[in-house]
Amino acid sequence: MHFIYVIWLFIWAGIITAETHTFHFNVSYVTANPDGLLDRRMIGINNHWPNPTIRVKKNDRVEIYLTNFLENRNTSLHFHGLFQKDTNAMDGPEMVTQCPIPPGETFLYNFTVTDQVGTYWYHSHSGSQYGDGLRGVFIIEDDDYPFDFQQDSVLTVGEHYHKETPAIMKSFMSRYNPTGAEPIPQNILFNETNNVTWTLNPGETTLLRIVNVGLFVAHYIYIEDHTLTIVEIDGGYVEQVEVDSIYIAPGQRYSVLIQAKKSPQQNYRFICVLDYEMLDLIPSDLQLVSTNWVQYTNTKELPGSIGNDYKKIIESLHPAEEFNLIPLEKVPLYPEPDYTIELNFTMEVLGDGITYALFNGISYVPPKVPTLMTVLSGGEYSTVKEIYGSNTNSFVLQPNEVVEIILNNMDPGKHPFHLHGHTFQTIVKSKSGENEDEPLIYNPENATFPEYPMIRDTVQTNPNGHIVIRFKAENPGVWFFHCHVDWHLEQGLAITLIESPLITQEKQTLIDNHKNVCESAKIPVQGNAAGNFGSSKKSWLNLHGENVQFSPLPVGFTLKGYIAMALCTFVALYGVFSIYKYGMEDVNSDNIENKIEKLHKLLADCGETDESAMFNLNSNGEAVNQ
Amino acid sequence: MANVFNVQIFFIVFRESLEAIIVVSVLLAFLKQGLGGATQDPVVYKRLLRQVWVGAVLGVVVCLVIGAAFIATFYTLGNDIWSKSEDLWEGIFCIIATVLITFMGLAMLRVNKMKEKWRIKLAKALTKTPANKKDRFKIGYLAKKYAMFILPFITTLREGLEAVVFVGGVGLSSPATAFPLPVICGLIAGIAVGSILYYSGSTVSLQIFLIISTCILYLIAAGLFSRGVWGFEMHLFNNQTGGDAAEGASGPGTYDIAKSVWHVNCCNPEIDNGWDVFNALLGWQNSATYGSVISYNIYWLFIIVTILLMLYEEKHGHLPFLKGVTLRSLNPMYHIKGKKKNELTAEEKEALFEKVKAARIGDDSAEDGTHEAENSSLVHEDVIELDKLDKKQAL
Repeated sequence: MHFIYVIWLFIWAGIITAETHTFHFNVSYVTANPDGLLDRRMIGINNHWPNPTIRVKKNDRVEIYLTNFLENRNTSLHFHGLFQKDTNAMDGPEMVTQCPIPPGETFLYNFTVTDQVGTYWYHSHSGSQYGDGLRGVFIIEDDDYPFDFQQDSVLTVGEHYHKETPAIMKSFMSRYNPTGAEPIPQNILFNETNNVTWTLNPGETTLLRIVNVGLFVAHYIYIEDHTLTIVEIDGGYVEQVEVDSIYIAPGQRYSVLIQAKKSPQQNYRFICVLDYEMLDLIPSDLQLVSTNWVQYTNTKELPGSIGNDYKKIIESLHPAEEFNLIPLEKVPLYPEPDYTIELNFTMEVLGDGITYALFNGISYVPPKVPTLMTVLSGGEYSTVKEIYGSNTNSFVLQPNEVVEIILNNMDPGKHPFHLHGHTFQTIVKSKSGENEDEPLIYNPENATFPEYPMIRDTVQTNPNGHIVIRFKAENPGVWFFHCHVDWHLEQGLAITLIESPLITQEKQTLIDNHKNVCESAKIPVQGNAAGNFGSSKKSWLNLHGENVQFSPLPVGFTLKGYIAMALCTFVALYGVFSIYKYGMEDVNSDNIENKIEKLHKLLADCGETDESAMFNLNSNGEAVNQ
Repeated sequence: MANVFNVQIFFIVFRESLEAIIVVSVLLAFLKQGLGGATQDPVVYKRLLRQVWVGAVLGVVVCLVIGAAFIATFYTLGNDIWSKSEDLWEGIFCIIATVLITFMGLAMLRVNKMKEKWRIKLAKALTKTPANKKDRFKIGYLAKKYAMFILPFITTLREGLEAVVFVGGVGLSSPATAFPLPVICGLIAGIAVGSILYYSGSTVSLQIFLIISTCILYLIAAGLFSRGVWGFEMHLFNNQTGGDAAEGASGPGTYDIAKSVWHVNCCNPEIDNGWDVFNALLGWQNSATYGSVISYNIYWLFIIVTILLMLYEEKHGHLPFLKGVTLRSLNPMYHIKGKKKNELTAEEKEALFEKVKAARIGDDSAEDGTHEAENSSLVHEDVIELDKLDKKQAL
């Protein structure tokens, strides 16, 4: 009996001590100079940039009132890695779970952080907007860490562009970029700035939470003469692994323990290198290596910059392979999947001359009604995949089933894929394929899976390779699955997972604030992907008017081509004929008989009919009257 | 195939050598008809004959040497400057080639006219008397003695240099290996045709041959014009994409979809074998643009209209609705050089040719030649106009 009381006490204690954190975020432009080279507008919160780190505790409630003070851009906020259990509408991606927030409007994000601890981050989910600065770290502190540390620090790494993302997008998604080459950044940011000096106390252990908040490139991170002990990836504790460096892709988080030296004799460099293989083109003046410093409190001078020999540096590093990181909890391999989704990823040029990213031939195009609202208004038809549109790559998942996604990367690039609302087991991660024409396609027959697969929410796929992930559909809602290289997301590299739509309808409703924002954005909140609805299944299946991708490039001759060819042929033939006529004129008129005939005609005209007139030939052979 | 035989070069050399042969044949014809008293003295005839041949051949040889030197220096020095704006330069060269071919092509169909023009030109050159009596003794004397050498030499040299310039303009977008073969073939073809012309006069079969070659020439020219416009559009696209989009590939992304009329992923004249010949002869592109198709049609329309105008002028003596205006008079140089007053009537031409006959060429008693020429012109006072066509034809 006492036992039960004790449990109740703990539960109440947990609930009582759970805090509610209320934030009022006014999103607006702030002028800043992150890399020291150029003043530019960054998107800050409450007139400050870089944006604040949010620290909450397990089971806390978070309320964020986000007001958009950007003059002419919509905004949104996604909490990367948070499950949003039963609060799917707070997840953030535009046109998936919410309407874009127009300028002047306030949107409420209201959720609790249950079942999770660790390092997460928040960022805009309106196109590539977070590259302009709307990003920050979100930490859920544990009360009982499985390791010891004295300091808790945060490190964000990312790349920086001098132009604002709408301008970059325009030249990226254009028929004058026929290879679809991603935009090249101008600099690396280390905690949203550069030339950072980090002070360490000798002998202390620091928990360093590292987040890649960039749009595009992965980073190698290491500290000279220090090892990093990986303890957490994407919010999940792992068995500790000591490495010399980590490789972190956009969206991923790594928490590492750094053991400061007991009696340091010097200060050390803290280096961050861009993964140059992800860049199509490396300008000669691009600094791919960012040198920062670890300074021990006994001041000595800082070593100089390490230079820019990125290839040599990367070759010397041995970062952990994420696939081998075993979860501390030792979650066994999920059982055979109830539902398998196979995604073949290709890049193609469509009919507008622009390169798009396609899963199974479909490039994600946002629907006219946010998908979650289609679920909530769809009634009994919300389990019918087709109402979500033919271009949203939608899949309907049943409650609690084990879902397996097989992703064949038929592109020679590295891609970090991120699943909203879940973590997943990565049960297969192939090495890189040889070349574009022979990608490694997943073959289930010979596959072996690890006993305790790695678990995270953003996993890197190797060029021309494949990954296989498994997760449990225990979180009703609409969840986005997409490449976290934001340029590729803009090119359409995403699918929509509609998980347990009927349960979603039961447990979740649209709050008034969200409805008002949609109204202000002039976006309907009910209907299928085309905004159509009605009482019959037929009206829900009517997708007339939906947004679709561009039609493919015409192959070979179209009607236009045939007409052009026919016209050219006709004109050429007629031209040749005229030349022939012109040429033959010379022959005809050169003819002697012709001349005599003409002469007769002349004489007849003059009234002379004497045919016996004599003719002489002059020196040129022409007839002359004597 | 276009790497060893540039079709445009062949046709230009063919045409120029044809004209050179015509010059030679006219001079030989003059000799035959008794120029410089050649019919009277076989020794003089032989001497003059040799002079003509030596002059002509020497002129051609000098041209070849100069031409080869020019092309060689150009290729060893300057080729790289093209590579940055390769398509732009190719486009420019194509347009230049088209213009050149357009003007020279149709004249080939009036070979008789060509012959006539040269007869008059050479006759005038031979009978020109220096104004100052003193000069007669110096250069004039030497000039008269070796006139039958100097004339063909200078003429073939000039024609040949013209050919070198044309060939340069047309062929510089090709590799250097594409030069020798068409030049040689053009020379052989030109000489062959010219010889036939000389020995047999203008015949129907020769005319058919000339018609066919002119048709091919204009098909090539139309193709070149289209290709020139295509090259400009490609250059523009390359600038906009910041690279050479179509370098070594034909697939999606190598062309501007907004300007495309047709596109097939095969049969690219720049990289697929055999299709470059199709391109050289007919201007075929695997990726056609509005510009290339429309320019092809415009070029042919231009030719058709020009031919119709020329036919009309030959029949009626002037352009439609514009009495007194001929195609020749539309050329501004016509008025500047005062060529109108240089046009001779049929009578004047006769007089001229008699003068030539009587002129003493290569003879020491050159002074007397002028007197006799004047006398003989009195004989042919009355000449009936055969028909208007004849008179205009001679012009």
